Amino acid sequence: MISKYYYLSLLYVIFISLVPSTLASVKANDHYHEELVLQPLATGHLYAHFQFTTYWNVDISDKDAFKHFNLFPKPLGQILSRYDVEELHFALTQGLWRPDWWGYPLISSPPGAELSAWFSTNPSQSIDSAWSGLTNALSGLFCASLNFIDSTSTVSPAWSFRPEGASSEKNINSSRLRYATLTSETICTENLTPWKKLLPCDAKAGLSALFNSLALYNVFYHSMGVHVRPVCKTKDCKDPGVELKQTLSLVFDPILHSGSRDWNFASLFSKVIPSVCPMATSSQIFVDVSNNITYGEFTLNPPPHSLTPMKYTKSEVYAVYDLNLIDFDQTYASHGFNLAMEWKRTKKYGRGLKPPLYTHRYATGVGDENGGIRTRIYNHDNKDITILYMEVVPWYFRLYLHTFKILCNKNSTKNILLNRRYIPGKDRSRPYLLELVLRLPSKSSTTITMDFQRAFLKWTEHPPNAHHGFYISSAVISAILPNDINTTTPPLISTKRNHDKEAITRIYTEALLVTLPTPDFSMPFIVICLTSTVVAIAFGSIHNLTTRQYQLKNVEEAKKQNILSRLISLVLPFKKK
Amino acid sequence: MAAIRNTCLSSLIFVVIIALIAVVYAAEDQEQFFKRGHTNNWAVLACTSRYWFNYRHIANTLSIYRSVKRLGIPDSQIILMLADDVACDPRNSKSGTVYNNANQQINVYGDDIEVDYRGYEVTVENLVRVLTGRLPDSVPRSKRLLTDERSNILVYMTGHGGNGFLKFQDAEEISDVELANAFEQMWQKRRYHEIFFAIDTCQASSMLEKFYSPNILGVASSLVGEDSHSHHHDPEIGVAVIDSWTYYTLSYLERIKPTSKDKMHNLLQSFDKSLVMSTTKIRTDLYKRDLSKVPITDFFGSVRNVEIVNVSLDVDEKKFSQNVMPESQQYYQDGIRRQYSTQFPIIEVSSLNDKLYL
Repeated sequence: MISKYYYLSLLYVIFISLVPSTLASVKANDHYHEELVLQPLATGHLYAHFQFTTYWNVDISDKDAFKHFNLFPKPLGQILSRYDVEELHFALTQGLWRPDWWGYPLISSPPGAELSAWFSTNPSQSIDSAWSGLTNALSGLFCASLNFIDSTSTVSPAWSFRPEGASSEKNINSSRLRYATLTSETICTENLTPWKKLLPCDAKAGLSALFNSLALYNVFYHSMGVHVRPVCKTKDCKDPGVELKQTLSLVFDPILHSGSRDWNFASLFSKVIPSVCPMATSSQIFVDVSNNITYGEFTLNPPPHSLTPMKYTKSEVYAVYDLNLIDFDQTYASHGFNLAMEWKRTKKYGRGLKPPLYTHRYATGVGDENGGIRTRIYNHDNKDITILYMEVVPWYFRLYLHTFKILCNKNSTKNILLNRRYIPGKDRSRPYLLELVLRLPSKSSTTITMDFQRAFLKWTEHPPNAHHGFYISSAVISAILPNDINTTTPPLISTKRNHDKEAITRIYTEALLVTLPTPDFSMPFIVICLTSTVVAIAFGSIHNLTTRQYQLKNVEEAKKQNILSRLISLVLPFKKK
Repeated sequence: MAAIRNTCLSSLIFVVIIALIAVVYAAEDQEQFFKRGHTNNWAVLACTSRYWFNYRHIANTLSIYRSVKRLGIPDSQIILMLADDVACDPRNSKSGTVYNNANQQINVYGDDIEVDYRGYEVTVENLVRVLTGRLPDSVPRSKRLLTDERSNILVYMTGHGGNGFLKFQDAEEISDVELANAFEQMWQKRRYHEIFFAIDTCQASSMLEKFYSPNILGVASSLVGEDSHSHHHDPEIGVAVIDSWTYYTLSYLERIKPTSKDKMHNLLQSFDKSLVMSTTKIRTDLYKRDLSKVPITDFFGSVRNVEIVNVSLDVDEKKFSQNVMPESQQYYQDGIRRQYSTQFPIIEVSSLNDKLYL
């Protein structure tokens, strides 16, 4: 037995040494990690967040090196290289995340499609043409109609969005940034298909094997994202790299499907994990067990491999499952890995923790002429919070700056509005951009008010379903929240970002659906029919009256004629006698 | 005299024989020309109706999409245009699915679908641009019809139509003349070898009448003056799930495999007017081949001809290893050093506060 193993190890050593030296010198330049975070929420829902991260040790602006793709997907990489993109954030979402019910998500995104890109500091083409090329290329890659993004929906916000990756500029120039949102964009299986093909293991092994389109779209909230940014390993950034994060966030409602808060992979996804992805350096599942006693008691089956505390608060822990430690060949060969959570007793379902910051936005006004937008921001914290507020309104809702008001229900000696940046829109070319810096007093609610006037669109500018209305995309509130509040922003191992730079929390408000005065599209058809009828009748009658000659006919003579000649005289009235 | 006559006669006979042989060869050439065949298959499937109650039109298009994919045409060679998204519509009690049958056996939406033109992108202009190839440079490859003179194209359109037009999204129409002109542009630019045009709308055969380009085989679900009917309702979904003509087309195609030898003639004769409830019109005058010899997979499948050559190639290993990426340190030496920036910008407090704070 021992000699057999000795023989095998000898053969192994010989085999390794025979591998040509060129191959051995190529060190692994990229690595891939998979993570799944499962968090039972206070309202009885389940938050599942998939994150697939690929790191590649290459500089994103080095076009020669950014050609040899391995784990980094080539279709996406070629698009980024062609259009000089340094940082890309793309998200497609169905549903609205409710911070007052569920806390804050790991990555937030507005309903519809959101695309933002930071272009390189020395691009080879104008940024506008690169942006238009990028939107078209991504629309083909992700089967989404992003090609509708044009100058009427694109803005360059100066304050609310900063590069999340390592950029080569010291003073960030926001003219390199382009941001656009398409709220009317739907998300369905055709968007998932190309997205999962970008993963190294496709949807065949590892965590991505759970993707079943019938289950993924039957949820409260579904958000699919692609985030690319340049990263640095050390502070002096001697090894620049590129990080690609593909995220999928879901909020399930197990109570709706099974009547109880119990869930397992088979009941949620109708699939189990068959094997681990061989390309993944790490493949882990984190289950948030911090609120085990608060929400009721639950057990996890099979038991976790370890428990990890969340970063800042030691009382809150994750149960960790490492798929590389799971024996897929024997124990889970037939049934696959099916994680289950069973609840023993449930306390009353509640709204859970009150997050420090949440918001509500709505449209006001009656009729088709005027309207208004009201945004209410609540600060439940004990401290003042400084926030950045950004709003993009399409040009056909003409904002009036003199109607801008900020009201607060709590009198504060300090100013609420610290700064404001307003770029008015231009018909058919630019939307309205409003950026504010607000200092919200503690335990207060602040209302931002602005009125608009509805424009008349030209007949051909209306979409086919004109009576549906037009969308005003979500407003973005960005804030740095202190870390000792029990917010649900646990950093994962692979999102260890930016060394000691703070993480920003973004909250998206509701998108508004407002109608514009629509014309009667059947009007041209009706007018043409009516006019043609009137003209035909009038013209016909007048023509007959003016051009027809009437002849006297002898009645007695007519009676004497036979039938044939009568018929002929009917047909040929001008027959000579 | 007799000798001259003889030579005249023999030369005449000789000329006649030469002429006959030439004609025979010419006829054979013609035959050879049509036997030359296609080398790739494409499909353009367009559903032109929007709104939930037109669920059946989307199910029609997806049924043909499913058959065409199953028989071998890859997604990169299918242009799928769906004017509305019913699978993930909030009204759909079964999200992520589109069924073409009330007993919900097959989810024609599937797990692997790629829709190229969706929602507001399905317009007459986009359809004509896709067919003729006159697209702006920014349009990606997946949205282009990259056919050549040896491509067989299946063009399937469904929606609401009338005598001489097909309605797009309840807002505009494409007329029979426009479509015929688009096909003629394709012929002149040698963008197809053969087209199989199928249309399932009311009074569909009116769309076929104006075609004048060669090698187009047209099939319509109803004659002028007739309506095409939906097949059945699904009580759970609440609307009709498929149209009759496409239902029977699909039930025939479900029996076809990529290796089937069934001919087009069999498919086109399988429509029974009493079941379909409208008369199928077939237009073959522009199509020279005999339908009983044309396999169905010529249009619906993608049977590729593979030529095996006995040539060996030398792959130089050294050349390969030279292309391996060198260390990217030289880039750092260029002086571009990256650093993270603060997420919250540093902003001055402006002086206009006093006027605005209430």
